[in-house]
Amino acid sequence: MLFNLDGTKPIYIQLSEWLENEILNGNFESDQKIYSQYQLAEIFNINPATAAKGLNILADEQILYKKRGLGMFVVNSAKEMILAKRKNQTLKRLVQEIVLEAGRLQVSKEELIEMIKTADIGEAEK
Amino acid sequence: MSVIECNGLTKVYGGTKALNNLSFKIEENKITGLIGRNGAGKTTLLKIIAGLIKETAGELKVFSEKPFNSLQVSANVIFLHDQMNLPTALNLKELLETAASFYPNWDRELADRLLDYFSLNPLQHYNGLSKGMKSTFNMILGLSARVPLTLFDEPTSGMDAAVRKDFYRALLKDYIAYPRTIIISSHHLNEIEDLLEDILLVKEGKELHHMPVADLKEWAIGLQGNTAVIGEWTKNKEVIYTKSIGIDQSYVVVRNHFTETEGQRARNAGIDITPVTASDLCVYLTSKTKGGIDDVFNKG
Repeated sequence: MLFNLDGTKPIYIQLSEWLENEILNGNFESDQKIYSQYQLAEIFNINPATAAKGLNILADEQILYKKRGLGMFVVNSAKEMILAKRKNQTLKRLVQEIVLEAGRLQVSKEELIEMIKTADIGEAEK
Repeated sequence: MSVIECNGLTKVYGGTKALNNLSFKIEENKITGLIGRNGAGKTTLLKIIAGLIKETAGELKVFSEKPFNSLQVSANVIFLHDQMNLPTALNLKELLETAASFYPNWDRELADRLLDYFSLNPLQHYNGLSKGMKSTFNMILGLSARVPLTLFDEPTSGMDAAVRKDFYRALLKDYIAYPRTIIISSHHLNEIEDLLEDILLVKEGKELHHMPVADLKEWAIGLQGNTAVIGEWTKNKEVIYTKSIGIDQSYVVVRNHFTETEGQRARNAGIDITPVTASDLCVYLTSKTKGGIDDVFNKG
């Protein structure tokens, strides 16, 4: 199985994140047709209704657009929108968690900032 | 369109109510999981839907007809369970050939390929099969019949992990190619929940919840932390399960009415908020006490 099934995140949310990664990785260009709900159901062995829910999240956020009878397509600015969204939501939440844990461990703000500065970013750094 | 409509259905067995005023609707072309503890009335319900037994009170309609003694319902429904009464004189191959004459949409090729894939000997007899192989053969019958309403009662009982996995995949692939209404009762909710669209949770013969599986995952959350702090946070909430951990810690499952900011405040107060898996939630919801088995051993 490709998804984390321990229930920490609903499958359709994991699916929408997977689709976002596919777009970020450049596997889908602007105006290219993305997988149908049935293709996704088959790939991940999930109910087609669940797959549709994952697609609809991205359609509601206008990262995908629908063409009647043809399926869903990637909008022009999809990559930028996903990056902005992740920065505002995911990264913010992670930072919140780090600050909270630092508080529990009595790590000072300066110490924490130093830790972030010296963290090994590896290949992600450009 | 509703395939099954059930209103106030009751079935009494010798003074015990197996089904108690049960009402629900099942819509066309959905896969629904029928979940409940042992003795919750799952099999009784499926038997009534298939027309094998009659209800005591209330009404149940399948394709707008009462299933008992209905040719229309028998022709459009297949019910697979672990007490199948198949003719003992026929071998597996002959059973499949006979089944083909009952069901107009029967897929002979699929049946043969599945029989071959699962290494069942076509010349063997059903009664000579092991428990898991019987279940496997039932599954072949159920998928190949391709009827508008397929009922699986504990389809994976006795199957090994590999066959169960194959079964789930086969079911999904055939469902995508030929959408139809399917009801699966199972104790392995964690294994089948991705296949399901809806879940029908029954407890003591009554409908407890009927909702999309996806909603079930967000329906409740688990809070863990200092007992006093947790008590403060769960005061006016609907508590589903509680368990004490160590000296002053507790784990409490409540209805998820938390807003984003409320959740953040709870976290700042030192409470760990975790999602509850659908399968755990069903166990908590269908249990008779809020403390589970621990209550039996707590005498004080």
